[in-house]
Amino acid sequence: MVDFVQMIVSGVAVGSSYALMGLAMVIIYKTSEVPNFAQGEMALVTSFFTMMLLTTFGYPVWLAFALAFVFAAFLGAFLEFAVLRRAKNPNILGTIVITIGLEMVLLGLVSWKFGAEHKTMPFPIGPYDSFIIGDIFISKLEALTLVSALGLMILLFFFFRYTRLGLAMKATQQNSVAAKIVGIRTNRIMMMTWGISSVVGATAGLLISPVIMHPFMMWDPMLKGFAAAVMGGMTSLPGAVVAAYLLGIIENLFGGYVSIEFKSVVAFAIIVLVLCFKPSGLFARHYVKKV
Amino acid sequence: MKKGLMVLFGCILCWLMFTSLAWSEEGVTDTEIHIGQWGPQTGPAAAWGSVARGTGDYFKWINATGGIHGRKIVYHMFDDGYNPAKTKAGVKELQEGTGIFGWASGVGTSPGLAVKDYLMERKIPWVGPAAGSLHWVSPPEKYLFGVYPLYYNEARALVRYAVETMGKKRVAVAYLNDEYGKNGLRGAVEELESHGMEVVAQVPVEKSDSDVKPHVMKLRKADADMVLLWTTVSHAVRIVGTAKAMNFAPQFMSTSTCSDFPLMTHISKGLWEGVICATFGELPDSDHPGMRHYKKEVFDQFASKDERWGMFYAAGIIFVEPMVEALKNAGPDLTREKFVAEMEKLTGFKGIGPEVNFKPFDPDDMYCRQGTRQTFLVQCLAGGKAKKLTDWITLD
Repeated sequence: MVDFVQMIVSGVAVGSSYALMGLAMVIIYKTSEVPNFAQGEMALVTSFFTMMLLTTFGYPVWLAFALAFVFAAFLGAFLEFAVLRRAKNPNILGTIVITIGLEMVLLGLVSWKFGAEHKTMPFPIGPYDSFIIGDIFISKLEALTLVSALGLMILLFFFFRYTRLGLAMKATQQNSVAAKIVGIRTNRIMMMTWGISSVVGATAGLLISPVIMHPFMMWDPMLKGFAAAVMGGMTSLPGAVVAAYLLGIIENLFGGYVSIEFKSVVAFAIIVLVLCFKPSGLFARHYVKKV
Repeated sequence: MKKGLMVLFGCILCWLMFTSLAWSEEGVTDTEIHIGQWGPQTGPAAAWGSVARGTGDYFKWINATGGIHGRKIVYHMFDDGYNPAKTKAGVKELQEGTGIFGWASGVGTSPGLAVKDYLMERKIPWVGPAAGSLHWVSPPEKYLFGVYPLYYNEARALVRYAVETMGKKRVAVAYLNDEYGKNGLRGAVEELESHGMEVVAQVPVEKSDSDVKPHVMKLRKADADMVLLWTTVSHAVRIVGTAKAMNFAPQFMSTSTCSDFPLMTHISKGLWEGVICATFGELPDSDHPGMRHYKKEVFDQFASKDERWGMFYAAGIIFVEPMVEALKNAGPDLTREKFVAEMEKLTGFKGIGPEVNFKPFDPDDMYCRQGTRQTFLVQCLAGGKAKKLTDWITLD
């Protein structure tokens, strides 16, 4: 029983970083229907930038993190402005290829600038400090990630529902021409969307960095976050978060009780199953377009 | 007249072709010897990328001190990202495009396996693969010379020390689920069997795993008092860290690939202290004259400013020292066959690594091509310093 509870707790803990990446992907997809495969590398660039502020320039953690979020917002906005917006009427395949290209450019940039040797980021909470209750443990860093993911989800939920900017973002996604007619500057909205998404993704990157840093560190969380976003319906923020936690729990239970060798591929098996039986995802409403 | 000219041209062409075969070897000119190596400068195994850079700086020093019989070594190193498909593409491109005399070192079991048959079919020498896989020498290949202690033997040495010296009773193994990890697992299983014991848990780790809590839970559930880690550097650190978070504190032991203690201490934030590793060469901070010599002559003069005088950098020298010795011994008329003959004559060769002994080719004796049976054990101390626990151990 202790093992079972521990696996659930561990699943929730690891699901938090998937949730943050999933949220970041959903934000962009909700507004522009672009599945952003550069999401992980955008977080990677911000994480290495933060490490540079902390280790090379000796900034205090609070200042480095504040600057990191500003940097992440500008990075996201810049990429939308400089790359995505320049594409002439790209179809979905075109945007996927563009984001994959961006991913490779950012990955190469980090490898070139910071080298490929493993590093860790200084952080006030040790990556392996933990809370132990009875025989159950959760690392403090993962607890912080959990709180961040849930907090951001709630914040974003209210942002999209009750703020003018959030509503403008939703309007842009649902009908960009109509949004333009009523005076919404859709280009600016897209830029802001990428900025906000980049900040959410960067939160995941910054909370992974105290454990280990190398150019490929965001690959696994990004893929799992994408799996969670697909499972949750790609447009539902709570859906992506719940799916991420489910994914983390299923992975842990599968690793504990079925096969540890195939633990990592469970996420992708789930994507296939969801796409077969409920293509719109577990939590999104199914829209039918009239032709 | 025209026909006569064509015949003459054909004859000249044949003459040129055959004379080039008779007079020179691929990858060797009057002034150059072309040697290739792959090494992960990016990707999951980039921590081992300094092996290839160490070899490069060593060759620069050889060139600066006159080369080998008047020839400079032209070193062709490429980044394969620890991706076997890239390794194969890069090796083929260099071999067929530039023409390489022989291949030095090369990190990784899987990348090496991707090109082993290609090189052996073409009778191209390959010395010192930077991985202790049994695949290089079992069965032996005439043109492949192993310098790295076998992972199989490293695992045996570690388990023997744990059982005989430390009195450990419950040994578990966490291994990367590929040939590298399985070589270590096999050594541990066989050594334990020779002591009438069994592995209490065998836990495979996939390259893509970033969450190792389920793995550590299995190790804890098995109540292991010694855990042998045969994984990548980052997985090893995560396992040790997660175990600490779970209040699970067995004696951790690991392979030589995780024996760069300053690096391991840094990325584990000090948790690597106390871990025991096998190793393949003298320690970077040792007083060994060879190490001091290479530090001063090679590292200080030729290494880039971001480079660190560490275990893997020195490994880049260790794995090719026998190659350089045989190139010198082969004399000015260098051919691959002469080179192989000189490699076979190396006995009792001692550089900064283990003692190296090769023999004439015998398809039934893997030790004709596995040059060393030695390893020694070191323990990580605070600040990434190392304590030698044993002298060189020779395994049968």
